[in-house]
Amino acid sequence: MKINRNERNRAFIVFMMFVGWILIIGVTLIKTQVFHFTKYLARIKAQSHRILSLNPKRGTIYDCQGEVLAISVKAKSAFLNNKNRYESERIFSRINKVISINNEKRRNIEKRIKRGDNFIWLKRKLGDKEYDILNKIQSTSRQRSIIGFIDEYKRIYPQKETAAHILGGVGIDEQGLYGIEFALDKGLKGKGGEVEVLVDARRKVFNYQYLDQPVSGRDVYLTIDSTVQFFIEKELKKVIKKFKAKGGSVIVMNSRDGSLIAMASYPTYNPDRLRYTSGRVLKNYAISFLYDPGSTFKIILASSALENSICYPQQIFDCYNGSYRIHNRQISDVHSFNKLTFEDIIIKSSNIGAVRVGLRVGKVKYFKTINDFGFGSKTGIGLSAEESGILNPLDKWTLTSIASLSFGYEISVTPIQMLRAFNVIATGGHLFTPRLLMKVGQQLQRSRENGKILSTSTCQKMLSIMIKVVNQGTGKKAMIEGLTIAGKTGTAQKIKRGKYEKIYVSSFGGFFPAQNPVLTMYVVIDEPKGKIYGGDVAAPLFKLIAQRLMIYMGIFPEIDGKNEIRI
Amino acid sequence: MKTKKKQSISGIFVLIAFFVFILLFTYSSLNLKNIDYGYKMQKLLQAQKKLKEEIDKLRAKKATLLNLERVEKVVMKELGYRYPEAEQFIKIFEIGK
Repeated sequence: MKINRNERNRAFIVFMMFVGWILIIGVTLIKTQVFHFTKYLARIKAQSHRILSLNPKRGTIYDCQGEVLAISVKAKSAFLNNKNRYESERIFSRINKVISINNEKRRNIEKRIKRGDNFIWLKRKLGDKEYDILNKIQSTSRQRSIIGFIDEYKRIYPQKETAAHILGGVGIDEQGLYGIEFALDKGLKGKGGEVEVLVDARRKVFNYQYLDQPVSGRDVYLTIDSTVQFFIEKELKKVIKKFKAKGGSVIVMNSRDGSLIAMASYPTYNPDRLRYTSGRVLKNYAISFLYDPGSTFKIILASSALENSICYPQQIFDCYNGSYRIHNRQISDVHSFNKLTFEDIIIKSSNIGAVRVGLRVGKVKYFKTINDFGFGSKTGIGLSAEESGILNPLDKWTLTSIASLSFGYEISVTPIQMLRAFNVIATGGHLFTPRLLMKVGQQLQRSRENGKILSTSTCQKMLSIMIKVVNQGTGKKAMIEGLTIAGKTGTAQKIKRGKYEKIYVSSFGGFFPAQNPVLTMYVVIDEPKGKIYGGDVAAPLFKLIAQRLMIYMGIFPEIDGKNEIRI
Repeated sequence: MKTKKKQSISGIFVLIAFFVFILLFTYSSLNLKNIDYGYKMQKLLQAQKKLKEEIDKLRAKKATLLNLERVEKVVMKELGYRYPEAEQFIKIFEIGK
């Protein structure tokens, strides 16, 4: 077949048109892909790419049995999109009728609507029912976008008041404010992340890529047993009400490793309602209450005297029939004694006897022992509210300091420091750091021992004296049949406006079973009325809790000489 | 001879065009599948997230229901239990072997 010129020309034109078309496409493509690449990339990114920030879930706090003490759950927070003032006012009046918003907040929202603020929080961290109600209002309103919701996390404390002072609490943005929540805030809250997502025309995500991988908050396991904590808090509250006391604390420690099984303080609060809690109630008595320990401190003096081989248990001291003067300072005993042995001074809690022992020990050796026990510095429990206590340096001691310190005055301690001191004798001389953490994330927490500060023989002598305190002395009301308890009572006056007033702090510390201690416990009651002595106020509470702990923890009664097992 | 050569060249071209077509088809279908899997994955991730949230809520609810104060109240008020009196404790004396 022959093609004429005309046809060839036509074919050439069509071909050129095709080439022109290809060229136009090519040039356009080059223009788009090369010269305007950045512009179009930005445009497509704006249309389909979204960068979302990811809030990590705050770690859960458990007790030693795996019971949840604090957990974060998703909750919706509602806000008002105030584009139309009149519509906003109308919607808000509807909301106000069905959702509880306090007066101050209500007035604030109304003011902000009138002022024309665009974004106004209605209520944060709604309950399920509140969310359903607001959702219904939103779906029936003329402008749906007027109410918006944001996903947040809400901290819940299922055990309410139980272990409140240990847990502390968080603020509205889940930031730790007190207790463990504050101390471990960094680990608990984790790290936020960012994800880049690709969305289609319907805003549905079809692809994603992490720009910054979020790290969830680490779960924390405490050494606290919430059951023990619960009944101790309950019994403590009863005693405080009974004696119309100002407050108090009970701490129970595992003698063998320093882990705390319970640490109760009263008055207490509900961490869910932290915002409405007064500062006075937030005070954790166990670690923040500073007081002169009184006679419980005599165990430090006795340990010092025995450790330095200055006294022996049967050594006799003159107790001046209940009245003794040292550098113009009058010292008196509750009951007057003529002569007492060293151990009777502790058993019967003679102040004069203690002063006589103190003078023999001397201030340098006594100061060293007090220091070795860790008084005047924090125990290292890891809670920020912990106080160090007050121990004057040796060069600031006056002529009467040794006398005052011999029966527990001129020094300020915290209950946790006293508990640790009692535990030194329970462990045969080892100083353990009180511990609240069992596991953080996957990391097991180990007990921390700060060396042996007393010899085994000193501890054995102290043990024998402290058993007698409970069986024959001031601590009789802590005695339990079938269980040997070693302890010491304390009753100390409190300083008010610079001088000692007739207001008291009653305490009792001890451990059991005495020969093979499992638990060390310290009870302190602040300003009891009526009865004031540690033996009358704190010792019975110690006994009650010890009895319950025996049953709960399976601490079986000891076998006595007649091969009888007594419960 | 020349025609044979021409035929083999055009055959190669057809083959290349076929492979290019197959390649483009596979690429686009894989891309579509990828997008489809993206949607499915997102759906599953959302479901997993919701389930995790639900689990957390249920755990919180369980812990709230097991709150010892509440349990004590239910046991004592609704079930009528009470703490034993001192005389109800039985002391056991076991004579040794």
